[in-house]
Amino acid sequence: MAAARNDGWMVKIGLEIHCQLTGLKSKLFCQCSSDYRGMEPNANTCPVCAGLPGTLPLLNEKAVELAGMISLAFGCKIPDRIMFYRKNYFYPDLPKDFQITQYNAYGVSSIGAEGKLEYIPGAGSGADTGGKTARIRRVQLEEDPGRLVYETGSMESSPFALIDYNRAGMPLVEIVTEPDFIDPRDVRIFLNKITSIVEHLGACDTSLEGSVRCDANVSVRGGNRVEIKNVSSFKEVEKALTYEIARQKAKSDREIQVRSETRHWDDARKVTKESRTKEEEQDYRYFPEPDIPSIALGQEFLSAIQSLTPELPDDRKARFVSSYGLSPHVAQVLIDNKQLADFFESCAKINRSPKEIANLIVTDLMGLVGDDKKDSGAIFAGLKIRPAHIAELAGLVDRGVINRNTAKQILGQIVKTGEMPSEVANKTGASMIQDADSLSKAVQEVFRSEQAAVQDAKKNPNASNFLLGKVMQLTKGRASPKAALELINKKLKEEQARPD
Amino acid sequence: MGDLYRLTASQITSGVRNRDFSAEEYICEILDRIEKVEPKVNAFVTVNKEQALNQARILDRWIRDGGNVGPLAGVAVSIKDNICTKGIRTTCGSNMLREYVPPYDATVVTKLQNSGAIIVGKTNLDEFAMGSTTEFSAYGPTRNPWDISRVPGGSSGGSAASVAAQECAVSLGSDTGGSVRCPASFCSIVGIKPTYGLVSRYGLVSYANSLEQISPMGRTVSDAALVLDLISGPDEKDHTTTATPAIRTTGGDIGTGADADKRGLRVGLIKELTAGADAEVSRIVYGAFDLLSSHDCSCTEVSLNAVDYALASYYTIATAEASSNLARYDNLRYGFDMDPEGYEWNTYFAKARSNFGPEAKRRIIVGSYVLSSGYYGKYYLKAQKVRALLKQELKSLYKDYDVLIAPTMPILPFKIGERVEDPLKMYLADVDTVIANLAGIPAMSVPAGFSAGFGVGVQIMADEFKEQTMLQAAQIVESGAGVNRSPDL
Amino acid sequence: MGWLSRLELSDQELDRYTAQIEEIIRYLDKLDSIPLEDIEPIYITKKFTDLRKDKAELFSSNPLGTKYRKNGFVKGPRMA
Repeated sequence: MAAARNDGWMVKIGLEIHCQLTGLKSKLFCQCSSDYRGMEPNANTCPVCAGLPGTLPLLNEKAVELAGMISLAFGCKIPDRIMFYRKNYFYPDLPKDFQITQYNAYGVSSIGAEGKLEYIPGAGSGADTGGKTARIRRVQLEEDPGRLVYETGSMESSPFALIDYNRAGMPLVEIVTEPDFIDPRDVRIFLNKITSIVEHLGACDTSLEGSVRCDANVSVRGGNRVEIKNVSSFKEVEKALTYEIARQKAKSDREIQVRSETRHWDDARKVTKESRTKEEEQDYRYFPEPDIPSIALGQEFLSAIQSLTPELPDDRKARFVSSYGLSPHVAQVLIDNKQLADFFESCAKINRSPKEIANLIVTDLMGLVGDDKKDSGAIFAGLKIRPAHIAELAGLVDRGVINRNTAKQILGQIVKTGEMPSEVANKTGASMIQDADSLSKAVQEVFRSEQAAVQDAKKNPNASNFLLGKVMQLTKGRASPKAALELINKKLKEEQARPD
Repeated sequence: MGDLYRLTASQITSGVRNRDFSAEEYICEILDRIEKVEPKVNAFVTVNKEQALNQARILDRWIRDGGNVGPLAGVAVSIKDNICTKGIRTTCGSNMLREYVPPYDATVVTKLQNSGAIIVGKTNLDEFAMGSTTEFSAYGPTRNPWDISRVPGGSSGGSAASVAAQECAVSLGSDTGGSVRCPASFCSIVGIKPTYGLVSRYGLVSYANSLEQISPMGRTVSDAALVLDLISGPDEKDHTTTATPAIRTTGGDIGTGADADKRGLRVGLIKELTAGADAEVSRIVYGAFDLLSSHDCSCTEVSLNAVDYALASYYTIATAEASSNLARYDNLRYGFDMDPEGYEWNTYFAKARSNFGPEAKRRIIVGSYVLSSGYYGKYYLKAQKVRALLKQELKSLYKDYDVLIAPTMPILPFKIGERVEDPLKMYLADVDTVIANLAGIPAMSVPAGFSAGFGVGVQIMADEFKEQTMLQAAQIVESGAGVNRSPDL
Repeated sequence: MGWLSRLELSDQELDRYTAQIEEIIRYLDKLDSIPLEDIEPIYITKKFTDLRKDKAELFSSNPLGTKYRKNGFVKGPRMA
């Protein structure tokens, strides 16, 4: 199945995703705050995360819980006990000159292994449902290093480096997939799903800068694997992969061997470049971290994290469809962004017009949100919109007080002023016209002025939509489309029946 | 007075409490003694003169005002210079940390201070606790107070010498492979390595984290036990401490502890280790053996097979952990004054780290080697398995025996400089002591006799968390052997 | 090996230490001669409920001991 889609190129993509557990209050091994962004350099450090002599790592209980929840959400097996290892290498941003991480080469000891995630749901049942699944090799906990900064802006031209250890010791969950991807677009969808899951678990606020990072491994036609690092955001990953695959294919076409190497993604020029620092084969001399005992998990742990796990996106979507009667498509759009899903439910609590509410949000409201805000942590920033607004608006439409067209206009107004829809509707007299008298008057008027169209419509029923459009224009969009159309068709029939 | 520096810890505390003398008087005498003796012994890297006097005065005032005092009130204590003391320079005997002042106290230091003890200084050690003679210090060797041409043992040589030379009453050292028991034996004092996990390592600069424990030293079993009691207990800042409640080890209780049925102890003498020691050492160990016999203990010789591999296992694990623990000394965050501007980073690291001494360098290299790609299974993993084997063997021995005895050191103190160029020969002298570190069991050295002017210690080991039993045996040996002279200094 | 440990060794030191280190490693090879198939390393264990609770606390003083700082950053050597 996979080969058929491969068109002979045998593209293989594997991912290595790092996700900061910003949902924790403190760092992984010490009590420094996890909310370090915006702090003065080195103001968020203590003897432990600064690697002072004599200090010991103190594992954060909630970090293990969150990592466990993530493992479960990715269908991983969680071992009975987990262990930590030291990865030894020298670098100025590494306070101990080793990183405490997890390692499975000497036996599975990481928080999750051998999982899988369906990221494109299959339709129906049977052999090829069109769904796509990626296997997860492992999920592990580890600490973030500090940050190197250069006064001149580039590493090459700076006579010295500046180091900020505020981030050192931040908890990271690393998710490694098998090379199961063949299309960069699939990767994008997969990453969106991961984002959705970790947001719903409260593990990571992905809108924070640098909170999620993704490195990728790519090869074509069984050739050497290239690792791509330094991709600044999930959005860029698709671009980087597309570029790199094209680069490798071009080489392969000219029978030039692709070198096994690490390349960096150049954000500005949108190309992958050879790594500047010669990242030679490092010997990390892994061995078990003696200061952290092996942590016994077992059934007690599994039960604990199962009860702590909030509703996952897929389950929420299913509930939206079954409880609220939303279409799967609309439900998917809502859960893709947790803020939308939360907003929807807040509205639906106030006023039980879920379909209309969802519609308003997905179609009309999102149209008013700036592109830059769509991936941000405050999607409705700058808009004076609250659940009460949408709830009331949806109610008005549902009760036939206004039509959807009007609703859209009113929405455009209230996001600027914050007024309640009913206020606006009353002020502008925007209520829907449904009474037969006004409507017939309008319809008659249109029939009179659009004789040609009327003739058309007698022969071609679809053309009555044009007449409807004119009625809407005439009534300044306030006519009930349904009622108007009925009247139009009735009148057409009457006229057809009348002898000319 | 003039002789206050000779007193034991409990004598000092009661003297100060009863106002027989003031803490200030006592500390002044101690400081005078230090000044007099240091040129010969070199036990201290840093003497804490002003602060110690201040604390003594504050204590006196407190007592005068009727306040309650802790169990070590006024007692002069020295701390090995690899244990962090806030505001007091902590060098680990190395040039790498010659200007390092910790911003925090080790847990044990806080506990001692809360008990009223007064820190008089930081003692000399082999660099980063790696060595058996205190000759590998960047601050000069410490000399054995009994014969200053000879080594005091190591790595806690400064601690042992300061206690033996009466420059303080008790000391805290650290024991990774015998680093407290060895100098205790060579300097004829008592040193106790607790069960792994009994005492917090927070603040102990790591050399080999899975092997080491902070260990008290004193001139009597009772003094050392008193300190042990005060420093032990689980610490939330050290996840390797165990939740087992602290053992009651204080003075008078030892003989009437949990095993209060007064049954004679079952003592096993480890054949292989005793046979492998110098004749004089063996003689004294058998002497202790006989002593215990005559005190209603049943004594037998036993065999410990894993002895052959213990040393190789120890040096594999210790050097591996050390190579990683010492990686952090790149001089960027703390250390000594060397401006990084102008250097490429690898060069800076290598140049800064050239300030390690020869033994530290050797161990780092060996440690990197045994962990390097492809060798993990050959060395490190095997060494850990040997450890498990050793633990198993000891566990089954302890079903039939309460304590095991052996020599502490297979030899008597040798001349300074004699073994410095032969590291492997040095390592071989640790054969008696590494066993307890590998297995995590408590072990102590108590002087059991004299030979050629030197006290010789016998080593007593018990099962995990059975410090009380171990101390019972030690008291029998101590009172029987009657080794209570002081060096002529 | 010196590079892996970032230790700069003079020629003298290299001469002296190499032989000593080789001797030590030969001694450690002793581990090859003991049968160890049936035994597994023993690890200390801790229950997950005994770990540190997730609470933030500020460390009130400056833990860094270097005077080479710039605008709060630690000054380091050049990276290229």
